Amino acid sequence: MSVILTADGLVGGYGDADVLHGVDLAVEATDIAVIVGPNGAGKSTALKALFGLVELRQGRVTLLGEDITGAAPDTIVPRGMGYVPQERNIFPNLTVHENLEMGAYTRRGDIGAAYDRVYDLFPPLAERRRSPAGTLSGGQRQMVAIGRALMLEPRILLLDEPTVGLSPLYIEQIFDRIVEINRAGVAVLMVEQNARQALRLASRGYVLAGGRNRFSDTGPNLLRDPEVARSFLGS
Amino acid sequence: MSPELYGVIMYAVGLLTLGGIYAIVSLGLNVQWGYAGLFNLGIAGFFAIGAYASAILTAPEVSSRISGLHLPIVAGLAMAAIASGIVAYAIGRLTLKLQSDYLAIATIGVGEILRLILKNEAWLTNGALGISAIPRPFEGLPPPWDQFAFLAFVAFLVVLVFVLLERARLAPWGRVMRAIRDNETAARAAGKDTTRLRLESFVVGSMIMGLGGAVYAHYVKFISPEAFEPMMTTFIVWVMLIAGGSGNNRGAILGPLLVWTIWSATEFATLRLPPEWATQAAYLRIFLIGLALQIILQKAPRGLLPEPTIRSGATGKQNTAGP
Amino acid sequence: MIELVNFYLIPGIVLGCIYALGAIGLSLVFGILRFAHFAHGDLLTLGAYFSLVAATALAVPPLWALPVAIVATAAAALLIDRLFYRPLRARHSVATVIASFGVALMIRSVIQLIWGPQDRVFETGIRHPLVIGDFRLAERHIYIVAAAATIIALLHLFLTRTRAGKAMRAMSDEPSLARVSGINTERVVAWTWVLAAALLAAGGLFLGIDTQVKPQMGFNLILPMFAAAILGGIGKPYGAIAGGLVIGLAEELATVPIGGMPLVPPSYKSAVAFVILVAMLLWRPTGLFRGRVF
Repeated sequence: MSVILTADGLVGGYGDADVLHGVDLAVEATDIAVIVGPNGAGKSTALKALFGLVELRQGRVTLLGEDITGAAPDTIVPRGMGYVPQERNIFPNLTVHENLEMGAYTRRGDIGAAYDRVYDLFPPLAERRRSPAGTLSGGQRQMVAIGRALMLEPRILLLDEPTVGLSPLYIEQIFDRIVEINRAGVAVLMVEQNARQALRLASRGYVLAGGRNRFSDTGPNLLRDPEVARSFLGS
Repeated sequence: MSPELYGVIMYAVGLLTLGGIYAIVSLGLNVQWGYAGLFNLGIAGFFAIGAYASAILTAPEVSSRISGLHLPIVAGLAMAAIASGIVAYAIGRLTLKLQSDYLAIATIGVGEILRLILKNEAWLTNGALGISAIPRPFEGLPPPWDQFAFLAFVAFLVVLVFVLLERARLAPWGRVMRAIRDNETAARAAGKDTTRLRLESFVVGSMIMGLGGAVYAHYVKFISPEAFEPMMTTFIVWVMLIAGGSGNNRGAILGPLLVWTIWSATEFATLRLPPEWATQAAYLRIFLIGLALQIILQKAPRGLLPEPTIRSGATGKQNTAGP
Repeated sequence: MIELVNFYLIPGIVLGCIYALGAIGLSLVFGILRFAHFAHGDLLTLGAYFSLVAATALAVPPLWALPVAIVATAAAALLIDRLFYRPLRARHSVATVIASFGVALMIRSVIQLIWGPQDRVFETGIRHPLVIGDFRLAERHIYIVAAAATIIALLHLFLTRTRAGKAMRAMSDEPSLARVSGINTERVVAWTWVLAAALLAAGGLFLGIDTQVKPQMGFNLILPMFAAAILGGIGKPYGAIAGGLVIGLAEELATVPIGGMPLVPPSYKSAVAFVILVAMLLWRPTGLFRGRVF
């Protein structure tokens, strides 16, 4: 089993205040890794730190064995890490197709197959490929957001709360697609608020609180743990 | 006393007088920008309103425009501030809710419209002919006492405005203003009427600028729309405030004196040149002041005298003005 | 009716084209670099002077000098960005706006230093206007509008068919997402300046041909350009085109005498753009076509 991504002892945050106080993560090629935890636990910050969007005072990030700590996004992206932010994750004035094209920006050569894969995965997008992305519904916009990152044909996909604000029907669809993506060979690391649903799929689950790791196990195991359920997963 | 020394002294007096007038205007800008974070690029307009208001009310009778009121200079100054304040209030009600870049554009436009009005409404302003023979306080005195007295008058006004503004800065009004500047959403959440407070800052600052304009008019005794070429006036006051230290009232006095001295000194130097070089030199000076601004912005944006820090309660964080 | 077309409508369209060329670049700079670029008008002036110099030096008709002027203006814009705007990019936009104010003055003073304050004209000779019935179209007006339309069509192709153009639109939409997609933001910034400079060189040339070349020419346009950009919606280049035409026509048509008195006296013509500007900012800051507000 190959390790795609590791993070050791991440300490950092925005400005003077640290949000992360020592976070460790590891994702292997076949993993769906899920990060859950209460609000303010530093989940999104951890994800951003992997991508070089947050200043790290300490810690190390490696991608496919190479150290990428603090590297700029436009050097990380070509190495095979795709990132879907929680907000503002599409280009509203570009068409669906153009959004996907931007996802493949750093790739050279023929990307026709990548388009086909995304449109197969998300059929509604194929119908609306010439519409400005901002005119789509919430669920479809999320598809564009994920599709954009997939155009890279990444080794690992980082998702920040991919189902936030979506209707239950779309939530299920998105989770199904994520499983499909993972089966096709892309490692997944996602932060999720819908903790129970997400952990059910997780081969690796991390519970973060106060900027630190609290529990790490497979998703289903975490769900079975009464302490975890009580403190962190709510009712 | 040798004539050279006399010349130098009188030159210095003139320098300080104009420097002091610009100091008044800068103090006005400091209220708007330094205290409240309002990005006003229409300074020249309020300066001009003050100048024209006082001039119209005090200058002798002329058939081409409204005149002959012969009001005393003090009344002229007061009316100048009031007129600027009224215009500022009207404009502020309309535009202050705009964000900084948009407010800048709007205020430039305001300055432009005011300039057009000054140029075109000859029944009021005498248009391009301008207003002349504006009375100057103490002009009855024999020289050099008339100049000295006027300088003292300007210095008095500078000190007066400074003291009032320092009081305001340290008072609750000033603190609330800074809170709004640094984090408007938080201030509003705390129940402050941010719109009204910003309007107050804008009006007070403009009134001070109007006062400065009026003093200017009485000093030079002749004004016309050309004198208020918006870019130079607005621009130079901004340079003065940034150089001196925005947010700091002492800086708002020091900056103008310094910048004006340098500006005048370079003008003096170019007067020695043969005439064909003189106009070239004028453009070179403008280029250099523009360049000086870039250097200040990049290397010393807080200016010479940074804003006096007021530790805010729990976090002990400093909040300062400065671009 | 004839007078309306000849003396107001056509000049309005020509002026509108020139405003549009400036406003497109302004809108792009506003959308991608996120600040109000007050030196935009003076860059137009620079473009005009470069065109004049090139046309004279190469002894060609003015339009042929345009490519040279474009290169020169683009180089100037890139240099200015590197020296004066880039160092301030991390800071609040107020610093860059003030800096651009200073740059405007610097450009104007350099122009005056090199070329002096007097008016200059392009050598176009006496041309007979094209007469269709009672309508007279000055030759220069025809080719200004035609050239402007061509340039805008090329711009459209650039923005919709090239990778660079789409990257620019992406960055204008969501700069951080653009970064996260691996787009090199400094390179997009460079393209933005090149594009804006090219449009300004053309605008300067056209304005110079239509009127004359003088140091204040571009600066006088800054308010109408801002008005047009905001009217069209910040970050929406097509909106800026519409905005430019609206402002140009509004300025001219406002001075049409209706029953003896025009709506706006000619001496207040430049206030028209400003009034439209403020009205837009207060009523609908996203512009007619819903651009950004920030």
